[in-house]
Amino acid sequence: MKETLDQWHFVTAVYVLGVAGTLALVAWSWLSMKRAEKRRDEARKK
Amino acid sequence: MSTRLAPKHQRLVLLAIALVVLIAAALIAAWGLRSQASYFYVPSDLIAKPPAPGQAIRLGGMVQKGSLKTDADGVTIHFMVGDGKAHVPVSYSGIVPDLFTEGSGVVAEGRLAPGGTFVADNLLAKHDENYVPRELKDMTEAQKQAAVQETTK
Amino acid sequence: MHGFANPARFLRIARALTAPLLAAGLVLAAAALVYGLFYAPAERLQGDTVRILFIHVPAAWLGMAGWSGIAVASFVEIVWRHPLAGIAARACAGPGAFFAALCLVSGSLWGRPAWGTWWVWDGRLTSMLVLLFLYFGYMALAGATSREGGSGRIVAIFGLVGAINIPIIHYSVIWWNSLHQPPSLGMGGSAMAGPFLGGLLVSTLGFTLIFGGVVLARMRALLAEIQAEARLRRKAFEG
Repeated sequence: MKETLDQWHFVTAVYVLGVAGTLALVAWSWLSMKRAEKRRDEARKK
Repeated sequence: MSTRLAPKHQRLVLLAIALVVLIAAALIAAWGLRSQASYFYVPSDLIAKPPAPGQAIRLGGMVQKGSLKTDADGVTIHFMVGDGKAHVPVSYSGIVPDLFTEGSGVVAEGRLAPGGTFVADNLLAKHDENYVPRELKDMTEAQKQAAVQETTK
Repeated sequence: MHGFANPARFLRIARALTAPLLAAGLVLAAAALVYGLFYAPAERLQGDTVRILFIHVPAAWLGMAGWSGIAVASFVEIVWRHPLAGIAARACAGPGAFFAALCLVSGSLWGRPAWGTWWVWDGRLTSMLVLLFLYFGYMALAGATSREGGSGRIVAIFGLVGAINIPIIHYSVIWWNSLHQPPSLGMGGSAMAGPFLGGLLVSTLGFTLIFGGVVLARMRALLAEIQAEARLRRKAFEG
């Protein structure tokens, strides 16, 4: 007696998590970098 | 001190010694764990050092080709698990993983019955490191080998 | 020797590289994942679950590479007191932890259909979970020392000692019987057919470039925070 799982459910879940997570990582690192550099440049101007 | 080392060289030497000690300790620990940390026993381990009857253990190996039989009830299966040197008969009733098949790896959780049969409560399919496209499945063994050889060059 | 010790010089190079690395990495990874999802063949035994490989393997490699980066930078920080080394080590922690977690989650989602279980306590899975916890410990320690002004030395020592787990992860499938399969790729060759191998290499390259870009962005952010704080402190002192 086999389980008969649908493999595509698992494949889709991994791709959704992997793509969303990677995009979030890139966006977070980029935005936090821009924010920190802006804050430094403003501190220098003062 | 006559052999004065620059501070950064002192740090380098100290750190190198510390790393060597650490790696040695880890290797000794890994060596000590070599049997305990194994997830399963192979059939030759079971033959060489039979476990106490009724003790829960895991048995891993290949499901031998042509050995898989299903009972009339449709849920009890019997097969041989081998590691190339020895083999152990296994019986199991229940749902098997989708990718459990003859000629492929398996890890069975259960206990050795007095008759020498391993009675499994649970089966896990184990994969080897080979990745072959499905289209190659219908070729003969020799054709498959050639195709894999060609694609991995 | 200490050419990169000068933040101005490092920043010039980092500014030129961050966006191109991220863009190239995203394009390559996207191409590899589209291939993995729609064009790669199903595997003989694993079937369609083999597609998970194109995310799982780069994530595993980067989870381990991240800590290797922490270890090398920590070594440089301890021995040469290089000012950028500590920043580089801290910058590797976030992305490294993300990819270690992605490796565990994607592996679990592969294990359910392929093995018949979400999780087993075998050598490979356990040592990879230990790596994720080491990342959490490292980030907590680095955060605490930067908030409370403690010595960065203890963070570097932790980064170096934790590296002992990396060879354990790699050799766990060789030293011990494990449910996880041994490596398919080695110095000698590959046990993986071309359609899988090619996609996997492109995917790994793409995610590695993304990782490099994220580490540079993190370094720039950490450096800017330090510079802003130094500036504000000087202002307060003068005023």
